[in-house]
Amino acid sequence: MNDLYLIYKNMTRKPLRLFLTCFAIFIAFLIFGAVTSLQYALNSTINLSADNRLVVFNRINFTQSLPLSYYQKAANFEGVKDITHLNWFGGFYQEPSNQIASFAVDPQTYLRVYEEIIIDDQQKQAWFNNRQGALVGEKLAQINGWKVGDRIPISSTIFSHRDGGNTWELVVSGIFRGNTEQYDTRHMVFHYKYFIETQTFGDNWIGWMALTTDDPGLNEKVAKTIDDNFANSQNETDTSTEKAFNKAFIEQIGNIGLIIFSVVFTAFFTILVVVGNTMALAIRERTGEIAVLKTLGFSSPRIFRMVLSESILIALIGGLSGLAAAWMLLEGTKSFFARFLPNLVLDSHIALEALIFMLLLGIITGLLPAFNALRLNIVTAFNRQQ
Amino acid sequence: MGSLIAQIVSVTLMNLGSLRRRLWMSLAMVLASAVVVAILLAFLAMAKGFEETMRGAGSSQIAILMRKSSSSEINSVIQQEQVNLIGESEGITHDSSGPLISPELYVIVDGIKKSTGTEANIPLRGLNKTGMNMRTNMRLVEGRMFTPGTNEMVVGQGVLREFDGFEIGKEVRFGKNLWTVVGVFSTGGNIFESELWADIKIIQSHYNRGNSYQSIRAKLENDGDLGPLKETIEREPRLNLDIQTEQEYFASQGKQLQYIATFGWIISAVMALGALAGALNTMYTSVADRAKEIATLRALGFSNFSAFCGTIAEAMVLAVTGGLLGSLAAFIFFDGLNTSTLGGSFTQVVFSFEMSPDLFLQGAILALVIGFVSGFFPAWRAARMPVIVAFRHAT
Repeated sequence: MNDLYLIYKNMTRKPLRLFLTCFAIFIAFLIFGAVTSLQYALNSTINLSADNRLVVFNRINFTQSLPLSYYQKAANFEGVKDITHLNWFGGFYQEPSNQIASFAVDPQTYLRVYEEIIIDDQQKQAWFNNRQGALVGEKLAQINGWKVGDRIPISSTIFSHRDGGNTWELVVSGIFRGNTEQYDTRHMVFHYKYFIETQTFGDNWIGWMALTTDDPGLNEKVAKTIDDNFANSQNETDTSTEKAFNKAFIEQIGNIGLIIFSVVFTAFFTILVVVGNTMALAIRERTGEIAVLKTLGFSSPRIFRMVLSESILIALIGGLSGLAAAWMLLEGTKSFFARFLPNLVLDSHIALEALIFMLLLGIITGLLPAFNALRLNIVTAFNRQQ
Repeated sequence: MGSLIAQIVSVTLMNLGSLRRRLWMSLAMVLASAVVVAILLAFLAMAKGFEETMRGAGSSQIAILMRKSSSSEINSVIQQEQVNLIGESEGITHDSSGPLISPELYVIVDGIKKSTGTEANIPLRGLNKTGMNMRTNMRLVEGRMFTPGTNEMVVGQGVLREFDGFEIGKEVRFGKNLWTVVGVFSTGGNIFESELWADIKIIQSHYNRGNSYQSIRAKLENDGDLGPLKETIEREPRLNLDIQTEQEYFASQGKQLQYIATFGWIISAVMALGALAGALNTMYTSVADRAKEIATLRALGFSNFSAFCGTIAEAMVLAVTGGLLGSLAAFIFFDGLNTSTLGGSFTQVVFSFEMSPDLFLQGAILALVIGFVSGFFPAWRAARMPVIVAFRHAT
């Protein structure tokens, strides 16, 4: 009769209780896995921005425009490697609810600044040469079922077309991928020239600029040069790293996210406390048996190990199955969430974190009863039982 | 019949009296139920608070007009000519100075959020005198109204609460322009309190908007009756506008955080399953602990049913106690909690969590369900167990 067999027998003596305990742990880790992945997915855009990329917005707010002349001026500043400009188009496809992240950009410079975009050379040239051409992200194309060569009418919630209406006729010239799996390809870009000449809000204005510096170390200096240069002009600028900008943008959603996640994590820990209590109790019930084992000559450390392994085992059974369920849940709903949260994956980092919590749960709940077992005096134990 | 009730009551009291023996398990069940209820309420209160902030803003007496398919004020553009055409339409209330219509501008500016110390979007609304007069629920809580033609503005209470540097007398710089805060207003806690208000002419000139606007508000002659205005829009091709009552507009914007309520229900439901597992454990322990008592009672002639009800009652008491504690905790921590998030117009909406009675009701239902289910199966076992077996097990 080896220890494992004993542990197994002890665990399964009340199958229903074992099942319920494991189930509660299962639920706790299911929630932990799913919600932590969700939180990571929400924050992931921040981590992906290039270190040396800056964005230049109107100081008033990022929804205010800048004159095109700023772009030509800023290109000559020292430390600026490549620079491009973008306009937010506020696009949607067919239904206003089907929003399309779409930007009017200067094609050549855009691809230089956003180096993470990977595009077939032939498609790239086709895009450069077609005024109505658009470059569509792989995921966006997938969601809407677009192929290269398709004519797609994209409407704007903001702009009106010079010929009436608010729909622009675009052609899919190419479909781009990202250089990493996590790069969000749910957007599209098309020619600034085509956009500015066909909309009705005047000429020679741009939404904002994006630029790369020669070296991340120059970021601050370049940002200061740009902002100083345009200080006291009609349109003052606000230059920051893309990372900082994205972070600020996410923070606009505010502490709502923080509140949600802290509430969920409190719940997670409470479930662990509740379950831990049951597990500890299950072992405490067996004081008498442990005394018998000791009488039979089982050494104290051996009993200590057995008790502790039992609670760790229960925590792992429940926890790992919960984590697996969370993984399956995320994989199953991935395509559905792809349009909002492209990076919804339960990665090894989260799994590791969960594993640590499982071990902690097992150790903390097992430790005290195990210690009691270790120190248990056989005579008192037998006396107590009566 | 009377004796059955008496039996149930005495069994229940006995069960509750013996709770002390199972203190930790019982507390675990109370805690589990409390957490599930508290979580549900936290999510619901957030969604509710947001919705109330939006709904409170809309009046059915006011029509709001924006450019077709612009869906929110920030995207819309309206020309002076269109304002004039709307002013001539039927169906609008008039006073001595003319039709009660208010062309408005809606510009986004940056403010520093107190909670994070980072920049966030605040709407700066440009209004004329009629626009101010049409906002009947607006009152100044401090200071005075801005003087038309100057760089003065009044700030909503919500902005003052969530953002830095908008106290009375402070100078605020947006880009090149310096503004002075001269008053603080309240609109009864709705979304307008998340805004800054200033003279429309000044905003038009500072932001190069020429003679353009972003929305028109019109006071309707008959409450909720958009008919005459709709006719005008259809007749006149220059008016490519969408029209809805302000109430409808904000109600649709208020639905935005509805997903939080849904998310809350899903999380709570899943978590309730976990709590249920814990609660079932508690109740099975309880039944096992009382096996001898139950057997004794049954041998004395108490009915199966009274043993069954006693256990259910015990479970319900524990779950409901938890539910109450959870509601209380949620109320203490979340009711009135101020926060802000990005709303439909890309700007910050300041709102408070709101714990209304119907939310408590939903929490109570959840607690009762947990209590009932976790009591039912163990109670079934207690009632079904043959007396002999119970005695044998108990020793």
